[in-house]
Amino acid sequence: MDTLTGVEHLAEPDGFRDFVEARSSALLRSGWLLTGDWPSAEDLVQTALAATWPRWSSLRRQDAPELYVRKIMVNTFLRWRQRRWNGEIATGRLPETQAYDVFAQVDARQSLLAALDRLPARQRAVVVLRYFADQTESQTAEAMGCSVGAVKSHASKALARLRDAPGLAELMTGGVAS
Amino acid sequence: MNTEERKLGDLLHQITPEPPRPVTVEQVAYRLVSEPKLRREPRPRRRGPLFSRALAPVLAAAAVVVIAGASAGIAVLANSHHTPPSSAGGAPASSATSSATASSSPSQTSSPTQQTTPTTRIAGGPWGAELINHQTFSQGSLVSANGSLYAFGTGTLDRIDPATGNIAATAQANPPLPTPPVIIGNTVWVLWSYSGGNVVLHAFDAQTLAPIRSVLVPAIGPVAASSGSNVVTSGPDGHLYVAAGETVAVVNPDNGQLIRRIYLTAGTSDSVAVSPDGSRLYVGVGRTEVLIYDLSSDTVITSSSLAGTDSVGDLVATSGGVWGTTGTGMSEWTWFAPSGDLARAVRIGAGAGGGFASLPSYSAGVVWVGGSHTLSCANPANGRVLDTVTLPTDHNVVEYFSSPVISGDHAYSDYQDNASQLSGLVRMTPPAACTANVSS
Repeated sequence: MDTLTGVEHLAEPDGFRDFVEARSSALLRSGWLLTGDWPSAEDLVQTALAATWPRWSSLRRQDAPELYVRKIMVNTFLRWRQRRWNGEIATGRLPETQAYDVFAQVDARQSLLAALDRLPARQRAVVVLRYFADQTESQTAEAMGCSVGAVKSHASKALARLRDAPGLAELMTGGVAS
Repeated sequence: MNTEERKLGDLLHQITPEPPRPVTVEQVAYRLVSEPKLRREPRPRRRGPLFSRALAPVLAAAAVVVIAGASAGIAVLANSHHTPPSSAGGAPASSATSSATASSSPSQTSSPTQQTTPTTRIAGGPWGAELINHQTFSQGSLVSANGSLYAFGTGTLDRIDPATGNIAATAQANPPLPTPPVIIGNTVWVLWSYSGGNVVLHAFDAQTLAPIRSVLVPAIGPVAASSGSNVVTSGPDGHLYVAAGETVAVVNPDNGQLIRRIYLTAGTSDSVAVSPDGSRLYVGVGRTEVLIYDLSSDTVITSSSLAGTDSVGDLVATSGGVWGTTGTGMSEWTWFAPSGDLARAVRIGAGAGGGFASLPSYSAGVVWVGGSHTLSCANPANGRVLDTVTLPTDHNVVEYFSSPVISGDHAYSDYQDNASQLSGLVRMTPPAACTANVSS
């Protein structure tokens, strides 16, 4: 195993901690939508932030660190799905058990994750970037390394699939009881 | 955005939960230390991936300040990492084609890709690495046999011409677990289904990838549907060895008949490998333990486990022992256990991070270990590393080279460069240290 010493010798870039503290929650939520579980979401975010650290100064000058982090997250997610050979086994999901959950929210999350699980990886990434992270089509295309046209195509197909997903269509029209 | 898109966005924001805990800078620093290449400073004279072709108009539209003159240099600098050779390296497309046969098999071959991709030298790549196609393959699926390469693409089994990188034949296939195609004679065996109490294998013609037959292998007990890897292999006896629940099934590939079962003393088989001399069977159980069976008597010799991990799989057997992969989260590395004793296992290579895999390959009598840090070749008899080379990074983003396989005088590897959004098959010329005086 690698010897994990030397953390104390790393020079923390100016402003990096503020960014992590301010944006990690939003990035983790995007990671959760991509992967469907918190450990994987944390893996994604940590990997992306670690890749961002050495480039922080220039990214900050460009005012685009979050764009870069999201790009690394999406591409890591796509690679991860490829590593798993697209061999997801459909299983039942245990509901989230946080105390503030009401049954409607639990059901909604289950429906949402089940619907996202049925999307191909790239369609899922487009949904998260476009509709959750509020990225433009161009930004989404850049993050995914594809054309704007491809983003539009993925989005259209994803919406069509989500429209037919059990339980989700009602949520999209009726919202979630809170 | 239209109304439907806005409603979807609202829904996502509304029901996506808050994370149970934040990510901290200390956790990120830990990842940096554990993956040293991420720490390197950016190379000079190369722009970051944010300034690739597609983002330039985005940044302009967003009124982000762009360094003066940047746009003029984008194309040249973006390509500087992968410079084409001075002469055209691409040979004419192979004339080999697949032929779809009338078959009851659910798999049908389709027309292969006939376009030729110019070879592209990879800057800083190992062993003269050059990209010979731009296909995307499943990690660890590349194998070499009969003068061809085989790998799983996106929902396909592909036969690749190593001379040109062209897809010479293709068939629909989407294995449910990481198990490379197994070639026996002129037949390619593919794991087709792995769930419940059954294993289904499909056979394809090794040349045309036309479907030949399907074989159902009943398991005893449920199969390791979520944790298996390398669940099908072949032995020097020409038989298929299939991890089938609480047994390993030995199947005659000529007629699909079950020859015998080897019953595990405990647990469910999730990875199998047969020693080159056919004397030993290595069986991964529960991703924690490896059992060794004497194939002359089908009795267990010993078992052992890898200290400090609960993830053992992707077994590969050589004369000196067994190799495999372990790791947690998004970091994986290859180990070698002399005589199959995992208590004496040593780490080989620097592994892979960021979702890449470091799976060992055994090709042309040499063990190869790739990843995202180093590429190594090792002696199959004793695990000694014969040569190792550091892999390049692109804008401080690791580049991935899968463990190579040998065809002719060259080594071939699945390559991915996330920063440049580039992937494909890489051809390399391994050094003599990797191939000389190796006793398998």
